Amino acid sequence: MWGTLRLPLWLAALALLAQDTSAVLEELKRDCSGCHGQGQVLSKLDMRTREGLLAGGARGPAILPGRGAGSLLVKALEGNGVPQMPPGTKPRPDLVARVRAWIDSGAPWSESNKWGNYNPEDLWAFQPRKRALKGGVDEFIQRKLARRGLQAAPRAGRRTLIRRAAIDLTGLPPTAEEVDAFLNDRSPGAWANLIDRLLASPRYGERWGRHWLDVVRYADTNGYSNDFERPNAWRYRDYVIRSFNQDKPYNRFIKEQVAGDELYPKDPDALIATGFLRSGPWEHTGMSVEAVTRQMFLDDVTHATAATFLGLTLGCAKCHDHKFDPIPTRDYYRMQAVFSTTEFARPKLGFLPTENTAGLDQARMRMQTVAEATREKLQKFDEIAKHNAMRKHGVSRPEDLPKDVLAKAIREKEGITPDEYEELKLYQKHGQLYRESLDRFEAKAFAVSSGPLDGATDGGPNLRYPKRAEYKPPEVHILTGGNMQSPGERVEPGLLSAVARYSNLPEPEVPATVAGRRSALANWIVDPKNPLTARVMVNRTWQYHFGSGLARDANNFGKMGAKPSHPELLDWLADRFIESGWSVKALHRLIMLSETYQRSSGHPSHHLVMEKDPDNKLLAFYPPRRVEAEVLRDSILAVAGELSLEAGGPGVFPEMNEDVARQPRHAMGSLQPAYRPSTEKRQRNRRTIYTFQQRSLVDPMLAVFNSPNLDMSCERREASTVPSQAFSLFNSQFAHDMALALADRVTRSGAASPVRSLFRRVYAREPSHDELRVAQQHLARMTQQHQAAPAAPRPKPEPVVHTITSELTGQAFRFVQENEPGNYEHNLHPSEADPSTRALADLALVLINSSEFVYVY
Amino acid sequence: MLFATPSRREFLYNAGMGLGTVALSAIVAQQQARAGVLSPKPPHHAAKARHCIFLLMEGGPSHIDTFDPKPKLTSLHMTKFQKERNKFEANMNTGERYYVRSPFEFRRAGKLGIEINALLNQFTRVVDDVCFFRGLQAESVNHPTAMYHLNCGNQFGGDPAVGAWVSYGLGTENENLPAFVVLPDVAYPQGGAANWGNGFLPAHYQGTPLRPEGAPILDMTPPTGVSNQRQAANLELLKLMERMHSDRHPEHAELAARIESYELAFRMQAEMPRVIDIGKETEATKAMYGIGGPDKDADALGRRCLLARRLVEAGVRFVQVIAMGWDSHDYIEKAHGSRLRAIDKPISALLMDLKRTGLLEETLVVWAGEFGRSPDNGIRRGGEVWGRDHNAHAMPVWLAGAGVKCGTIIGATDEVGGCAVEAVHPLKDFHVTLLHLLGLDDNRLRYFHAGREKQLSQVGGQLIRELLA
Repeated sequence: MWGTLRLPLWLAALALLAQDTSAVLEELKRDCSGCHGQGQVLSKLDMRTREGLLAGGARGPAILPGRGAGSLLVKALEGNGVPQMPPGTKPRPDLVARVRAWIDSGAPWSESNKWGNYNPEDLWAFQPRKRALKGGVDEFIQRKLARRGLQAAPRAGRRTLIRRAAIDLTGLPPTAEEVDAFLNDRSPGAWANLIDRLLASPRYGERWGRHWLDVVRYADTNGYSNDFERPNAWRYRDYVIRSFNQDKPYNRFIKEQVAGDELYPKDPDALIATGFLRSGPWEHTGMSVEAVTRQMFLDDVTHATAATFLGLTLGCAKCHDHKFDPIPTRDYYRMQAVFSTTEFARPKLGFLPTENTAGLDQARMRMQTVAEATREKLQKFDEIAKHNAMRKHGVSRPEDLPKDVLAKAIREKEGITPDEYEELKLYQKHGQLYRESLDRFEAKAFAVSSGPLDGATDGGPNLRYPKRAEYKPPEVHILTGGNMQSPGERVEPGLLSAVARYSNLPEPEVPATVAGRRSALANWIVDPKNPLTARVMVNRTWQYHFGSGLARDANNFGKMGAKPSHPELLDWLADRFIESGWSVKALHRLIMLSETYQRSSGHPSHHLVMEKDPDNKLLAFYPPRRVEAEVLRDSILAVAGELSLEAGGPGVFPEMNEDVARQPRHAMGSLQPAYRPSTEKRQRNRRTIYTFQQRSLVDPMLAVFNSPNLDMSCERREASTVPSQAFSLFNSQFAHDMALALADRVTRSGAASPVRSLFRRVYAREPSHDELRVAQQHLARMTQQHQAAPAAPRPKPEPVVHTITSELTGQAFRFVQENEPGNYEHNLHPSEADPSTRALADLALVLINSSEFVYVY
Repeated sequence: MLFATPSRREFLYNAGMGLGTVALSAIVAQQQARAGVLSPKPPHHAAKARHCIFLLMEGGPSHIDTFDPKPKLTSLHMTKFQKERNKFEANMNTGERYYVRSPFEFRRAGKLGIEINALLNQFTRVVDDVCFFRGLQAESVNHPTAMYHLNCGNQFGGDPAVGAWVSYGLGTENENLPAFVVLPDVAYPQGGAANWGNGFLPAHYQGTPLRPEGAPILDMTPPTGVSNQRQAANLELLKLMERMHSDRHPEHAELAARIESYELAFRMQAEMPRVIDIGKETEATKAMYGIGGPDKDADALGRRCLLARRLVEAGVRFVQVIAMGWDSHDYIEKAHGSRLRAIDKPISALLMDLKRTGLLEETLVVWAGEFGRSPDNGIRRGGEVWGRDHNAHAMPVWLAGAGVKCGTIIGATDEVGGCAVEAVHPLKDFHVTLLHLLGLDDNRLRYFHAGREKQLSQVGGQLIRELLA
C-alpha cells in the first residue's frame, strides 16, 4: 500500500510517456509549425493538431498511431525515402527514436486547449449526475453487499451508537447522564431525536467547522520567516462555525467565501468569508521578490479553490497540461486570471452581535502592557546613541548638538556595539510582532477586494499598491513550464473547460473587468448543474462519518483519485442535498438515520468479510477509528471537568509541552517572544478549535496525533500509530494534570465508589466486575506508594532564557524574558492533593490512555 | 533503563492474553504493516553509502569566505555601483551596492593544495577526504523558502525532507530508534520543524529532533516526581485494561499496533539514553570534537557531531546536524570567524572518527547551507559595513565519504564569486545525486499524493556525475 506499490507499473510508465509526449510535441511545434501550420500550410500538412497529422498532407497521413516506423513523419525526420525534414538539417537519431516511440504508443496528444482521448470512466466526476429514480442509503449499500455475497453486521448497541453520534456531530463524548437518558428512551423516535439534539448543539459547528478549516488550510499566522499574526483571521474561523451551526445553505456558503465582497456587499459575514481566499501561508519581506510572492498567492488560491469546492488537484496543470485529467495548462491560467484582480484588504468592519468580544479589552490591555514595555526598552538605545554622539562631538548636553546631527545619531543608532544592536533588533522584532498582533483587537476583516481598496490594502510594508483609480487588471499569461520568466500566450479569465465539455453546464462568460470575475466563478461553482460541487461536499460529509469517503480521495475526483465505490449512492445523495436547499444538517440526518450508519463495528462473519472486502469498502460493518487530535484533547478536558465551553473570539493559548513552549524560535533576523499560555483556565482550556493556530508552533501533542499541516489543504486526517503518541498521552504534563484534576473532582464529589465514579466520567458506563477488581487493587497499591512518597512542592517558575548565535558577532547572545506579572491560574498540583486522590489520578491516567477512550466504534 | 521491556510475545503472555484471543491475523497484519514501513529495504542499485549525515549550516554560509577565495575582490573592495530594480530581484539585492573583499586569510591543504579559510586548522587533515562542489545553485534568497528547498526539495514547504525520503526508501537498521534523527541547535531554524517533516509521507518517516536541552525526545520521561515504579505499575494496568478491551473487539486489528506502539515507546525510552550518552567515549575523542574546550559553540556542535556518529553506528539511517548563525550581513570577519572556529574541530573530528571506525566507507557526509553570499553588500544603517547579502547563484557545498570523488574541486564560480559558471547544477540535481549515492533512484522513489506521483526532485533532476567516485 505504500508509495510506488500503489500505482501499477503500467501507469507509472504512462506517466513517463506523458512527460515525454509534451516534450516531443514541444519540439515538433518548434521545428515544424513554421511551415506546417503557423501562417502557412506547406504540402497541405497542418501539424498543429492531432487531426491534422492524421489527415496528413500531399504525401498522405503523417502519422499512423501504433506504427511509428511506418509513419511518414518518422521517415521525414530520418530523411528516409522522402526529403529530410526540417530542410537543411541532419537527422537527429534521439528525436527520431522518441517520435517513433510516441507514435508507437498511439500518438497521445496533450497540447494546451486540445483534447486527448480520455477513458470515459475516468471522467465520471465531470459527467452529469445519474438520476436514480428510487433508492436510499441502505438500498445502494445493500445491493453491493448482496452482489458480493455478504451480509451486513447487526445494529450496534445503543451505548456504542450514542458515543458514535456524539463524537461525529460534536467532537465530545456523551456524559453518563446523556447515555442513560438515551438508553432509557424507548420511544421509536429516540435515535432521530438524539441526532436532532446533537445537531442543535453549538458544539456541532465547532466540530464540523474544524473539518472545514482542515480543508481550507486555516491558521492565525502568515508562516515563513516572521510568522506574523493575521490579527483578524479568527473572525473567519468563527464565521465558519456560525455557518455550520446555522445550517447555512452550502451554495450560499461557497458564494460568500469565493465572492462575498462582490455578491453581498452589505452582509458583513460575506466579507469575513472571503478570508478563505487568503488562508494559505504567505509572506513578503525585503528578501522576497514581489512578483514571486504575488505568484505564490495566485497559485495557492487557484489550487485551494479547485481542491476545496471542486475536488480537483490543479497543481500539475501549472507547468504542463494535466497528464491524467482534462485540464490543460491554459485552463489553469484562465482560472488563475479570475483571481488576478483580487487584492488583500483589511477594511474596517464592526464586530457583530454574534461575535465574542468579551475578553477583547482585557487582552488588549495585556498586550499593550507588553508592547509598551518593549517600547521603553527600545528608548534605551536612543539614549545610548545620543551619548555616543555627544562624546564624539565633545559636547556634554544633547542641546549642544546640531538638530540634524542628533536626529541622525538617533536614527542610525550611532556607535552602538554589536551586542547592543542584537538586543535592539530583538526588541524591534518583538515590537513589530506586537504591533501586528494588537490589530487583532481592531474591528477589521481579514478579507480581499477586487482591485486595491484605498486605505485598506493589506500587503505589508514591502509591497507597493497602485491607487484604485489608476489600477488596471494585470495581463495574465501562460507561464511556460510554470516559469515566471517565460510568459507565453496571453489568456483571459475563464473556467475549467472540461466541465462544459463533459457535463450539461455551458461555460458562462467571465468578465475581464476588475470586479465580477469571482462572482462568475462562484455562480458557476454553485450551479446545480455543476457536476462536481455537490458530489464533493456529499463525499466529504460521508468521509467524516465513516472515516473514508465514497470516493476515497476527497480532494481528487480526477482520474488519479479512487473511483467511487458506490457512484449511484454518491449521485443520489448529491441530488437530495441540492433538493434540500443544500442543507448539510439534512444530509447528516439522511446518512445517520440509515441502517448502514448504525451497524456494529463487529461482524459475525468477520473472516469472510475480510476475505471478500478487506478494506471494508462495501461497509458490511461500521469502521472503527481513532479520534482526531482535537477530539482527544477536548475529550480529556471534558471528562476532567476542565473544558471551558466559551465560544469564539481571538485565539487562546493552551499550555503545551514546556520544552517546546520555552524553545527559542527564529523570526527574521531575531527571535520570537517566548510562548505564553493564557493565564486563566477558562481561556486556555477552551476547545482546541479556539486555540491560536500558529504555523511555526503547533502544539506537539496535537501534532503527534496527526493534526493537519497548516500549510496545505488536508483532505483527510492520517491516523498513524507511532510511539510518540504513547509518550505524549502517558508522560506529558497535560495528561498528568488532567488526570489529577479528574481525580480531584471525583474525590470532592464524595462518591461512594471513586472507581465507579471515575469509570462513569471517562467511559460513561459502570465498570465490569473484573475491571472494578483490578482498578481497586491498583488504587490500593498506588495509595500506599503515594503515602510513602509525598509530592514535592510546586517548583517556582523560572524566567525564559533564550540563547542564540548573533549574526553580527557570531557570539552567543543571551536574552532573558521575565515572567509576566499577574496571577497565573495554575492547574492543580500533586502537592495540593492527598495520597488517595493522587492514586486515583494514576487510574485516571490509565483510563484516558486506553483504547476505549481513544477509539470510536 | 526505566523498566523492563518484554518482547511482544512475553507481553502477551504476561498480560494473560493467549494468542487465540487476539485474532492472529491482526497481529500478522500489523507485523507486515510495520515491516513495510520501517524495516530495511533493498536499495534501487548497489551503493556504498548506507547512512547519511547532513551538516546543515543555517543562514547562508559564504563560499567566498570559506572554500572559494576570490582575490579579485581585493582590488574591487568598496567600489560602488548601482544595481537596477528588477522584477525578479528582491529589494535587498538592488540599489546602491559596493564590493567587499574577504577579511580572511586562506591556506592550502591536501594533496592538490586546495585553498580553505586559514581559520580551519583541523580541517586541513581531512581535505583529501572531501569533494568541494562550486557549481550548485539555489533559487530563493529568502531564508525559510531556501531552507525548505534545500531540505525538502520544494521552496513552498510541506513536502517530505530528504531524510524522510531516504527513510521511506531504505527503512532503518534499528527499529528501536527513529530512522531519521535531527540534531538541532537550541533555537530552531526559520521554517521550524517543517524542515524535517514527513510531508505527505506516512508519519513514521518524520525526523525526530533530539533536543540539546531538556528531554531529548519530547515527553520521553514522565513529569518530575513520577517514579519509575509508579510508571511501571500504571503501564501494567493499562496492558490489562487493553486486554479486556481487545476481548470485546477481537475484530479491531489496530489495537495490536497500538499496544505495540506503547512497547516500542518504552524500548526507545530504554535505548535512547544509552545511545546518546557520550560519557563512555574517551577523553581524547571528546577533545578531538572540541567537547569540553573553551569555545562553547564548538563544544555544543562537537556533542552533536559525536552524537551523529553514535547514531549512525546504532543503525540510524539519516542524521541531520544543524549549526546556526551564518547570516553575516554586517561584520563578516567576526561573525563568520566565530562560526568557522566553532565548526573546525567538530566537523573535522567527525570525518576522522568516521574514517577511524570504518563508518566513512558506508556513510555519506554532506555540508551545505541554504544559499551562498554575495560579493557585494548593501547600505546598512546609513553606511557601509563589511558583510554580505544572500546569493542563490553560488554557494559552498562539500561532500565526503562513501561513493564520493574525494580530494578535489568540482565546478567553479566567476571571478568575484557572484555566480557558478562551471558544472552548474540546480538543487534538484543535488538531491538526485544524494539519493543516488545512497542507492536510491529519484525517479523510482515516488509517492502518490494529491493526484500525482511525487518525488524529491519534483521533476526532471539530473545526476551530477562529476561528484561520483
